[in-house]
Amino acid sequence: MPLSLIATLCFLTTQAPGATLTPRDSAFHALNRLAYGARPGEADSIARVGVMKWIEQQLDADHVPDPRIAERERQFKILDYDRGDLATRYRDAQRERQRMQREAAATGDSTQMRTARPMQEFRQLGGELQQLAIVRAAVSERQLREVMVDFWTNHFNVFVGKGADRFLVPSYIEETIRPRALGRFEDLLIATAESPAMLFYLDNAQSVAPGSTPPAQRRPFSLGRRRFGMNEMPEERRQRLQRRPPPTGINENYARELLELHTLGVDGGYTQQDIIQVARIFTGWSIEPPDRGSGFVFRDWAHDHGTKHVFGLTFDDDGKDEGIKLLKFLANEHATMHHVSAKLCARFVADEPPDGCVDAAVAAWQKTHGDIRAVLRAIFTSPDFWSAQAVRSKVKTPFEFVVSAVRATGVEPDDTPRLAQLVARLGEPLYQQPAPTGYAETEAHWVNSGALLARMNAAMMLAKDCSSIPSIDDHAQLVDVIDQKLLAGTMSAHTKSVILEQLTDITDPGQARALAVGLALGGPDFQKQ
Amino acid sequence: MTISRRIFVKAGGLAMVSLGLDPLFLARAAFAARRPIGPSARPILVCLFQRGAVDGLNMIVPHGEPAYYQERPRIAIPAGDVVDLDGHFGLHPSLAPLKELWDNKSLAAIHAIGSPDGTRSHFDAQDYMETGTPGVKSTGDGWMNRYCQHDREHADTPFRAVAFGPQLPRILAGSAPSLAIDDLQAFGLRVPQEAARDRLTRAFEELYDGAGTGLLASSSREGFDAVQMLKRADPTQYRPAAGVEYPPGRLGKTLLQIAQLIKADVGLEIAFADCSGWDTHVNQGSSEGQLSTRLRELGLALAAFNRDLGERMHNVVVLTMSEFGRTIRENGNSGTDHGHATAMLALGGPVNGGRVLGRWPGLGVEQRFEGRDVAVTTDFRDLFGEIVARHLGATDLAMVFPGYTPSPTRFLGAIRG
Repeated sequence: MPLSLIATLCFLTTQAPGATLTPRDSAFHALNRLAYGARPGEADSIARVGVMKWIEQQLDADHVPDPRIAERERQFKILDYDRGDLATRYRDAQRERQRMQREAAATGDSTQMRTARPMQEFRQLGGELQQLAIVRAAVSERQLREVMVDFWTNHFNVFVGKGADRFLVPSYIEETIRPRALGRFEDLLIATAESPAMLFYLDNAQSVAPGSTPPAQRRPFSLGRRRFGMNEMPEERRQRLQRRPPPTGINENYARELLELHTLGVDGGYTQQDIIQVARIFTGWSIEPPDRGSGFVFRDWAHDHGTKHVFGLTFDDDGKDEGIKLLKFLANEHATMHHVSAKLCARFVADEPPDGCVDAAVAAWQKTHGDIRAVLRAIFTSPDFWSAQAVRSKVKTPFEFVVSAVRATGVEPDDTPRLAQLVARLGEPLYQQPAPTGYAETEAHWVNSGALLARMNAAMMLAKDCSSIPSIDDHAQLVDVIDQKLLAGTMSAHTKSVILEQLTDITDPGQARALAVGLALGGPDFQKQ
Repeated sequence: MTISRRIFVKAGGLAMVSLGLDPLFLARAAFAARRPIGPSARPILVCLFQRGAVDGLNMIVPHGEPAYYQERPRIAIPAGDVVDLDGHFGLHPSLAPLKELWDNKSLAAIHAIGSPDGTRSHFDAQDYMETGTPGVKSTGDGWMNRYCQHDREHADTPFRAVAFGPQLPRILAGSAPSLAIDDLQAFGLRVPQEAARDRLTRAFEELYDGAGTGLLASSSREGFDAVQMLKRADPTQYRPAAGVEYPPGRLGKTLLQIAQLIKADVGLEIAFADCSGWDTHVNQGSSEGQLSTRLRELGLALAAFNRDLGERMHNVVVLTMSEFGRTIRENGNSGTDHGHATAMLALGGPVNGGRVLGRWPGLGVEQRFEGRDVAVTTDFRDLFGEIVARHLGATDLAMVFPGYTPSPTRFLGAIRG
């Protein structure tokens, strides 16, 4: 039977294509992959609606009612500030820090450094960014969109700790990634290429054609616009900054990662010469200074106006359009479709995804010119997604582990950095992966002895706040309720018997509940998805 | 599952794949196979990363170089304060506690060392030094982890590679198991009473014993083994050797814990720790001041570590590293800005000490990198490569430093032959 027919039938019957799974197990599987795990009872309610119908709803995220998230988002001040506001706040914090450094060096007293107000405020905003990601992942009804925001944020990774990215990353997430998470790959690729956060992170902002001279160099600082913060700097520092040599050549970093990570993949069949041509095409793609809002700017003076030949295409002095033409070409190259589809399948199906689902995704990509929803639909209707080998085969990442535990136990993710710090302690501090590869998706990367002990500790901590499980005197009944609510009835017989054995001499129902929930969350069953 | 590590090593991964088993899992399962680890002659490498770019010129002072004093009227170390080493170079006075190690030839300094990549970004330069691939940003793992991946001979304990800190640093990231330990005394399950902690540990142990095969089972076993090993070693009872006092602060505490692990004979091969506060753009100070305070802590901590380990230092190498050096000329704020080459320290029994290693390029304007910074004459991979090969005994440096093969002809002779 052709794949498309299977897919059609699936939607008609609203049954998952995996004949071996019960409707409830299918729903639990879908919740583990398309969502951040199941809330108590959710697998049953989705099984009643029909899992394929639920998947279609998730793909049409805009029409999923999501009343609670707006109210929660209002608590996050960081959403009230645009890029310019954050740049100003960052500058204030920096100045304050420098002033205090000078003071501390003069007096030998560094105890006040940490308490400086603008610095503290800016640090808090950074914490909010992480906590907001956790609240959205835990609370939003548009679960698949949140999963895809995380996927693309990681695919187009930007490290928040690198210089200006401290204030550029929030708008990168809100304005570049989020609106396009379920859109077209090409649009997303172009948006990331133009984003100040990426331009700064991979150094393209300072990539200039060799021999080009900025107008400001010809008449330094006399164009009416002051350089950022220049007027308030001590004289010597100002001189030092003015002496700093301007960039003098192309920087290949973005070009290399664009080909290797964002599009074609490391085996995509390009050469070092291709990287140089691509870097030449992107010369001039830069960022406005912070006092003009740090937005994207194309600097014609920095652009390499020569002719470039790459991938069989010719780029002939066409300014910014050269880059756009190249990105559109790359977005629909076969190597790109295959590389990104395989990565999506590694996320949704298995660490080493079978060819079947990857091929289905590529076919959908080709047919729809990279409509992300169509690609995802092809994966979710592929038999590989529902195969017995795929179900519960993947280990949760630290972020998935914490958010799924929060959802299962009914812990309300508050607006303190507590949960974000927990995710960081487990090894995945959000937005803080320095390497452009983003975080790894595979079990081998996340499972090691120290990390597992840390998960057990996290589980015991989260269990204390568990509100989804009532206190029950009867231990067997308690374990059964935990199995149903936390694991949708998939707890192994071994886990059940070990937990029961541990409860034997515990009479206090509250204590029994905390221990049993902690063991269930920290045990092997809950690490899997 | 009992498959001896040796069989795995001999048969290699492929034989196991034919049995339908995952080689990575097997490799890790093999680590759990206990074998007695006595106070062996196993070589140990301890690395301290001076994050923020230490001013190599004020750490190992070229007091014989007039340009040094011309360029640094306010922050140079007066010749009278420098602890002279060889007539040309000397230690910052705050490092005086290390002079004894220089004299007994177990301390070497390496000058004009750094990255072939010219970046002055902390972020990029640290990344390159940790991945071991300067100029290549997409390297996923760190060079220390790659060493562990390709040298399975030593892979038998969860404490083989330990980073002291809340998270695994880039240098140890990768598929070979390595531990991040924030505090040795708090490692394991966090339950206040010992009896309750033991009970919970046993409960989780049983849960994972039933997890069958795979990484979850083998890694949890490693974790519980580590907890047991530490319990036997009882870190809460640790007392440094008589008369040894570590300086207060994080660095002293970390080195004390590394000494503890070494003495506990739990199979430690690589220990890594950060030590920060070197980004001295403003009021760096001279013989006294900001940098002096940091160096004093470093010198006292290293000297204490050396005395605490005593005889055991015969197979320990301590290496300091930093992402780049600082400008030769002091800036308008009596500090220094981001430069290029810096200095590193190597100490321990195997170190060919009492010498400043590496070719000194001089501070003359025409000898500088980009006209302003100390030029790099030793690629950091040549030093790291020598230590990994001659001290730890690695045979395949091409795997540890892909795209670059440190050649014995470029080794500095930091390790005794």
